Amino acid sequence: MLTTGFKLWFGLCAAALSAAVFAGYTSGGTETGPISLGWKGGVGDHVTYVLFVTAAAVFGLLAVIAIAFRDADSEAVAEVLGVDTPPPAQTQVGSSIWPVLGALGVATLVIGLVVSPALFVVGLLLLVAVSLEWTMTNWSERATGDPEVNRELRERLLRPIEIPTLAFVGIGVLVLAISRVLLASSVNGAVLVAGVVGTCVFGAAFLFSRRPNIPRRVVSTVLIVSCAAVLAAGIVAAATGEREFHQLGGGSGGDHVEVGE
Amino acid sequence: MTETTADTIRTGDVVPTALEAAVTTTDHLRIGRAWLASGVLLLVVSLVAGLMVSAERMDLTGMAVFGDVDSLFRFWSAYRVGFVLLAVVPVFVGLATAVVPLQVGASSIVFPRAAALGFWVWVLGAVFTVAGFAIDGGLGTPGAVSRTDAVALTLLGLLMVIGGICCATVCILTTIVAGRTAGMDLSRVPLFTWSVLVAGSIWLVTLPVLAANAVLIYVDLTGRSAIAFGVEDTIWGQLSWAFSHPQVYAFALPLVGIAGDIVPVAARRRHGNHQALLVLTALIGVLSFGAYAQAAFDIGTPVREQAVFVVEAFLIVPLALLVLVGLVDVLRRGVGSRRTRMPAPLYLSVLSVFLLLDGMVLGALRAVAPLDLLERSTTGAQFTFTIGAALLAAIAGTLWWGDLIVGRVAPQGFGLASALAVAVGIVLVAVPDTISGFMGLADFTGGDRGGAGNPEAGVDVLNTVALVGSAHLLVGALGWLVTGVLRLRGARSLADPWGAHTLEWSTSSVKVTSESPLLDAAVEVGA
Repeated sequence: MLTTGFKLWFGLCAAALSAAVFAGYTSGGTETGPISLGWKGGVGDHVTYVLFVTAAAVFGLLAVIAIAFRDADSEAVAEVLGVDTPPPAQTQVGSSIWPVLGALGVATLVIGLVVSPALFVVGLLLLVAVSLEWTMTNWSERATGDPEVNRELRERLLRPIEIPTLAFVGIGVLVLAISRVLLASSVNGAVLVAGVVGTCVFGAAFLFSRRPNIPRRVVSTVLIVSCAAVLAAGIVAAATGEREFHQLGGGSGGDHVEVGE
Repeated sequence: MTETTADTIRTGDVVPTALEAAVTTTDHLRIGRAWLASGVLLLVVSLVAGLMVSAERMDLTGMAVFGDVDSLFRFWSAYRVGFVLLAVVPVFVGLATAVVPLQVGASSIVFPRAAALGFWVWVLGAVFTVAGFAIDGGLGTPGAVSRTDAVALTLLGLLMVIGGICCATVCILTTIVAGRTAGMDLSRVPLFTWSVLVAGSIWLVTLPVLAANAVLIYVDLTGRSAIAFGVEDTIWGQLSWAFSHPQVYAFALPLVGIAGDIVPVAARRRHGNHQALLVLTALIGVLSFGAYAQAAFDIGTPVREQAVFVVEAFLIVPLALLVLVGLVDVLRRGVGSRRTRMPAPLYLSVLSVFLLLDGMVLGALRAVAPLDLLERSTTGAQFTFTIGAALLAAIAGTLWWGDLIVGRVAPQGFGLASALAVAVGIVLVAVPDTISGFMGLADFTGGDRGGAGNPEAGVDVLNTVALVGSAHLLVGALGWLVTGVLRLRGARSLADPWGAHTLEWSTSSVKVTSESPLLDAAVEVGA
């Protein structure tokens, strides 16, 4: 019996193919061109013909899949598996950060295409990392029937890679951002900025160690806001540019000292 | 009052923060709400652009609003692109993401993480597209006033928008095909689900073509001359097929399903022939395939003057008429038995089918060569009728299923008033544009009034009416936004407020939350 899905997509396929032939004959195609996919003669307007034929191919493929899997009807699935009760149509999955990070990767890549090749590479790396993480997450969720075991499995495999990588990237970005700020500030300003940032980091670390019961929400908020502030300051400083440096000493040997104003 | 509850599976004891929940969610209702909210906000942005263009058209010689023709063109094209790809289609995707899984008895959307990815890619792409239009980019001619890098940003944003919509559509279509509950044959799915299946199939074979157009233009814009395709000077010409007949029908197609689901419940009568409506929807889908109707590499007879374009334009009209007849028949049989007042979404959904039919009739007239309407303002009128009808149906859909999606009651009267403002706006914009088109006014009227084709003084009056219509549209959209905000603060909804007894009102969503989704692992910080 033909399934509803097959009827829909095969109908779309047949319509697209008919439209291709009709368009071919009415736009200058030869006698046999439109019905032989251009093998014997011209097909008329190439763009129109190719688009209709491609659409027909896609719909045809969908029609074949639909009838091969009986429209994925639960009863058909149960019959194929030889069980009385159809299995659940889908596995429940938990919330995940990877979709939004993946989108940010695409966005970084796009901005990189417009602004800077370096940013394009960053976006590409982010996409690769997200793809790997997403794949591993999906694999681990289906590794065994016990979610706890699955999670431990994933952690055992990925934590040794994730934590050093995140630390390397995180520290690198923060160091880069703070260095931009220090280079953009005046000599005294840079000393002041370094002192204030160092004191804030030390003070926060001291506070968290003394009060382990601080709510997670507060800790996350403080960390996120601080990182965002440092990043924003780094971007602004990078856009502003470094302060002027005057070279002391000289000569061709390269032994000289740079002093900022 | 009965509270609509949902099952929740939590893998730990730590409750995610609001921020974590927002950015890491895979709950189809939450993702659907995100699509809807973003779509409505971007609709307002698009309609502001439309209003500015209408205001400029009042006196093109002065160019008081934009200052130059390029800027006017940029906003004119931004309005059309934004109305479709940043507003109406995303709202339909949002409705489908939230409602379709429940209509087919699935507890969640299939590939929920991919659905979330689709939303985030779309929303970031939308931001880039709007930014591109705003910073002298858009789809105008680069090198004049437009900046090449800003045009590139617009094109890449558009690619992300298309990618996001396609990703979400794949998830929805897979849910319909592979996520149905036992006993639900595809031929028995609700009409909204069916219309999304048909429309989604068409979107998936046409939107990639639009993306390919954008890629070719991008290559021409930024690549070396040796690989140029020669289309960088006519960007809008390459992309405009997606925003006119017949492709606009594919974007508006879910409105048939919205009306088809609302009318029988509101009228308390079944469809006379459910199968016939399925077939009609599929046929409209077939005829709305519009990727071929593009100007890319046009040689010989332009495709819009070829027979296939004309035949398609005329065949689709009786199909829409039959859909309308079917709905009116259900209404006719139901009205006599109804003692209570009909709900607002009923009126809006039927009105949307009327407006769609208007758009299709106009589309058919555009295809008549002696009338010479292809490049006239009838193009804009047809766009407004069709996409406006889709917008009206989307409002009807949110008023109908909003209780299910948000779990709270909206002021239906306020929603109806907003939708009526939209409906009046559609008519006030589209009718003058239709008349102007017959009088010879061009679709895009630039600074040179004579060259653009502004033949008679009567057009000025029509432009004034269109300006009022644009203002109505914007007010209606803002009203829709306010309705949504008021719904968030409304009373908790009933489990089945319309007495529909259909599957979506009785199926519960399953929400799965990870205890620490930002790391996908059990890391506890503090208590």
